[in-house]
Amino acid sequence: MFKADYTDVVGGALLVATGLGVTAVSMTSYAVGTLRRMGPGMFPSILGVLLAFLGILIVLQALRKPGRRPDIRVFSPLFVLGGVAAFAALIAPFGLIPAILGVTIISSLAELRLRPVSLILLCLALCLIAPLVFVYGLGLQISLVRWPF
Amino acid sequence: MELLGNAVLGLGVALSVQNLFYCFLGALLGTIVGVIPGLGVLAAISMLFPLTFSLEPTTALIMLAGIWYGTTYGGSTASILLNLPGTPANAVTCLDGFPMAQQGRGGVALFMTTVASFFGATFGILLLMLFTPVIAEYALRFGSAEYFALMLMGLVAASTISSGSALKALAMVVLGILFGLVGMDTQSATVRFSFGILGLLEGISLIALAMGIFGVAEIIMSVRRVRTADIDPETLKLKAIKPTRDDVRRSWFPMLRGSSIGSFFGTLPGTGPSIAAFLSYAIEKRLSRTPERFGNGAIEGIMGPESANNAADQTAFIPTLSLGVPGSATMALMLGVLMIHGVAPGPNLITSQPELFWGLIMSFWVGNIILLILNIPLIGLWVRMLTIPYHILYPSVLMFICIGAYSSGFSALNIWMVFFFGVLGYLMRLLQFPGAPLLLGFVLGPLMEEHFRRAMVLSRGDFMTFFERPISAVIMALTGLILLWGIWTSERGRRVETETKPADAEEAGGS
Repeated sequence: MFKADYTDVVGGALLVATGLGVTAVSMTSYAVGTLRRMGPGMFPSILGVLLAFLGILIVLQALRKPGRRPDIRVFSPLFVLGGVAAFAALIAPFGLIPAILGVTIISSLAELRLRPVSLILLCLALCLIAPLVFVYGLGLQISLVRWPF
Repeated sequence: MELLGNAVLGLGVALSVQNLFYCFLGALLGTIVGVIPGLGVLAAISMLFPLTFSLEPTTALIMLAGIWYGTTYGGSTASILLNLPGTPANAVTCLDGFPMAQQGRGGVALFMTTVASFFGATFGILLLMLFTPVIAEYALRFGSAEYFALMLMGLVAASTISSGSALKALAMVVLGILFGLVGMDTQSATVRFSFGILGLLEGISLIALAMGIFGVAEIIMSVRRVRTADIDPETLKLKAIKPTRDDVRRSWFPMLRGSSIGSFFGTLPGTGPSIAAFLSYAIEKRLSRTPERFGNGAIEGIMGPESANNAADQTAFIPTLSLGVPGSATMALMLGVLMIHGVAPGPNLITSQPELFWGLIMSFWVGNIILLILNIPLIGLWVRMLTIPYHILYPSVLMFICIGAYSSGFSALNIWMVFFFGVLGYLMRLLQFPGAPLLLGFVLGPLMEEHFRRAMVLSRGDFMTFFERPISAVIMALTGLILLWGIWTSERGRRVETETKPADAEEAGGS
């Protein structure tokens, strides 16, 4: 238990920073124009200010109420997102099968428990089902295995 | 009876062997696509689009339309069983459908949403037949000021749904709109917020955004928490899909209200099934004498939205077919099919191509009956997915998400977007920000900006235009009322909760 809700303080502060950043970028990089003839920078500038304003309100509200420590996990996001990243990195140069193996093996590590037999069976099943459904069934133009070098 | 004659004419077209077959194929593919999270309706329709070149325009439309409303049926399955919206329109079904599944009532939820879907679709088709000319004429009066006001109302209403703070939901709406602005600005051809990445020219992919925030982030939160043993094997028996008398009694009015809301918002460009489902949920929650049941498996919370999104799926065809103005990306694709087949869309379509118009509409009836037959016997199959251990399920879901994102555009950038929105979604979960308003803001953002800028040009830079035009003024007044009501009820709710449950004060403080 904390005296103030620091989760919301952080959240609100991030919104203020994002909002001000958006407004700064839109005002400097894009034409703002006039109300009568709005440029591409006008709408995002207004929204950025609005976002920062909402962020300030959230921070002010959070300072007046007690908060709880959030449950931050390290390994679950690391391995799940790592799996997605592996797929993204492998699909274009190496093809579908290596990408499937990448996402399946890396993301299943998020369980923090290795089940070799079930993992091998899962990999085999997915490498069989995915090409059948997507490449042969739906006719997506994805090569199964490639070697870029 | 002119209408009866038209219906018979349409039925004759829809019941031909060829059209019946493609209607069935569309509905089946739609259900599968809807059930598989990560494979969106847009990707499916775009992929199957080239296959229809050799078909008659009516047959092509019948099949593609079948995919479109079939996904909404199938999408609720993924929402209920996996807490992953199969399509954005089913996102709100997760809120009460998933808790029902966790309580061992997944079978009931699946059965009842199928009924709600059929009810909503029937309602929508009836309106489509009866009121197409009337609604088309009404929508003709809308200018940019009205559209902007209407979208604003939808977003404000959506922010008051989420059980958390209205401020946080509004902030997420604004953030969502900003994400929607990424890419080429349609009016000045300026590229905004692309950070030099060429692929961002076309903007952020809706599928990648939804899959990152709802799919990947949910998996991160669920790993090592979901236990297969939690699932009661009793739910897998066929008798477990039978709703109680209480369930049925509670469902009538939400279905009726949902269908009406869905039919209305389906006709308006930029709103459509997602916003109709969200609004229906908001209304059911506000009207309920026991709003605390919502989010914990209230049957009203799935019946209203599921009838609303299906009704909206049907009435979305009203502006597309009567005015030639598509209300959504999917409808734009439908319009593209028409034009490639040499049919000019517009107000003359109904009179010049009655076989196409009435044939398509009557095929919706046929397709919905096919979906009803397809979904209820297959419920057992979907419920059986619950017995798959999570350590097998989540890598498979992730793989489907990755392939789904990649298939819309065949670019690894889309998967990196899923990655980015997965990070953002996890951060939002940690900081307790809701995801649904962000998605809505994202969809409506570019449209809102366009209408805002157009209205301001027309009014010569005078903000009062939104309050001087009568229809727009009424909508703006309603928006103000909804905003005040939302803030007032959430403040009141917080005070009551703090008084009754001081031990959970920090949780109530967030609401």
